[in-house]
Amino acid sequence: MFLFLQTTLNGLVLGGLYSLAAVGFSLIFGVLGIVNLTHGIFVVAGAFGALVLYNEFGLDPLLAMLPVGIVLFAVGYIYQRTVIHWAISRASLVASLVVTFGVAMIGRNLMQLTFGPDAHSITPSYSFSSLTFGPLQIDVVRVVALGASLVLLLLLALVLAKTHFGRAVRATAQQPLAAELSGLNVQRLHGLTFGISAALAGASGAIIGIVQPFTPASEVAWTLNAFIVVVLGGIGSPAGALVGGILLGLINAYTAQYIGPSLTQAAMFLVLVLMLLLRPNGLLGNAFGESR
Amino acid sequence: MTSTGTPAEASDNSLLRVEGLSYDYAGMGAVEDCTLDIPRGGIAALIGGNGAGKSTSVKMIAGALRPRSGRVSFDGHDITGMPAHQIVDRGLALVPEGRLVFQHLSVHENLLLAGHVARARTACKQNIERVFDLFPRLRERRQQNAGSLSGGEQQMLAIGRGLMTMPRLLILDEPSLGLSPILVGSIFSLVKRLNEDGISVLLVEQNVHQTLAIADYAYVLEKGRIVQQGEGRRLLDDPKVKEAYLGLA
Repeated sequence: MFLFLQTTLNGLVLGGLYSLAAVGFSLIFGVLGIVNLTHGIFVVAGAFGALVLYNEFGLDPLLAMLPVGIVLFAVGYIYQRTVIHWAISRASLVASLVVTFGVAMIGRNLMQLTFGPDAHSITPSYSFSSLTFGPLQIDVVRVVALGASLVLLLLLALVLAKTHFGRAVRATAQQPLAAELSGLNVQRLHGLTFGISAALAGASGAIIGIVQPFTPASEVAWTLNAFIVVVLGGIGSPAGALVGGILLGLINAYTAQYIGPSLTQAAMFLVLVLMLLLRPNGLLGNAFGESR
Repeated sequence: MTSTGTPAEASDNSLLRVEGLSYDYAGMGAVEDCTLDIPRGGIAALIGGNGAGKSTSVKMIAGALRPRSGRVSFDGHDITGMPAHQIVDRGLALVPEGRLVFQHLSVHENLLLAGHVARARTACKQNIERVFDLFPRLRERRQQNAGSLSGGEQQMLAIGRGLMTMPRLLILDEPSLGLSPILVGSIFSLVKRLNEDGISVLLVEQNVHQTLAIADYAYVLEKGRIVQQGEGRRLLDDPKVKEAYLGLA
């Protein structure tokens, strides 16, 4: 029983991180209809950004989320307004798949060139302290990571639900032509959506850096995770990302604990296939509703 | 508002001038050399059958499509190739064919969104009230998702959304499509009412009879070309129009 609870707790923490890392991928998929294979790069770049800021300036990784997020916001915005936009307007939506894949390879190699292929991790002073609840034990960093993820997801959900910007993003996702005719600058909104998604991925990377080791090649896994989270939870909403992320975290933790750590990937794909067979729109469906 | 000059002698009274507008879909000419002159204050109509190029023409006017050639000027300013969101902000609103309401936004959110354009932002609250006065059904359903509305209510919402931008020229693309005869009648009386309130209207329709009955001036589009034009009432009696569109020989 104790082992089960401890495993569940670990799974939840992991799930919170998966959610935050994936929410931007989900948003881009929902609003622009693009499967952004560069997403994992944003996550790992965020982790390396936090690492540099910690090593050079002693900046706490949790505070580093802000500068890292701002830089990645700019990168994401410019990336969409140039490369992605060119690919889509000159070829097709599908071309974005090839282009984002190519840019991901470039990004991975650039990071390998800069930081080497080895695993890194960020170790702030509180890395090794832990909290105990009766027999349960949990690292402080993991509690903080989960908390930060939830706060950011909640913030995004509020922005999407309550502000003009959020309404504009949802309207653009559903009906781009009518959005433009209603006075919304759809091109700019697409850029901003990309920027926000990259910023959230970068912020998640800063937190991931203190919870687990990362290498430039980790980007592949983070893109894949994001994809699975969206399939499980549904497209476009922070709530869907949270449900999908936590599910993925729990699957990972239970598999590692009860079946074997080498089989987590197999379990993930098994669930992925089952989900696509049984509920292809994810548990919460497409937040923007319109078929693409 | 019956005093409409012929477009050839475009005067200062012209609100929208379209000259030689052309568009290709995948190399096929969809619209060729479309020329219109819409005067201030009236109801103009663009009629024609399915696939004649009506929607393509108004989409080019509203900036949603980029023309291959030609010129569009609105209120004396060249707006050719300007993005649609900027054209809306100059007071030219297109209510698109098929309504295209934001299905998963509430009625209220649909209106709020359009009311946020710079030219109408400060009056957003009053404008929502005006739209609700015009369409009491929308007030009853303000918190419902637009997707749950009936076809007629969605059309009301689409028009309401257009009105939120405080247009000087309102282009309605097939507002009567798919509605019951009673609703069609109410859409046409609404068009007259909006016009009496000072909004110039360009009505794009297949419902030729009712359209010509209220239009001051009308253009007939066939296979992408303007083939005929004249005062609405006169076209109604024109033998060619009768034969082609009214089913009367």
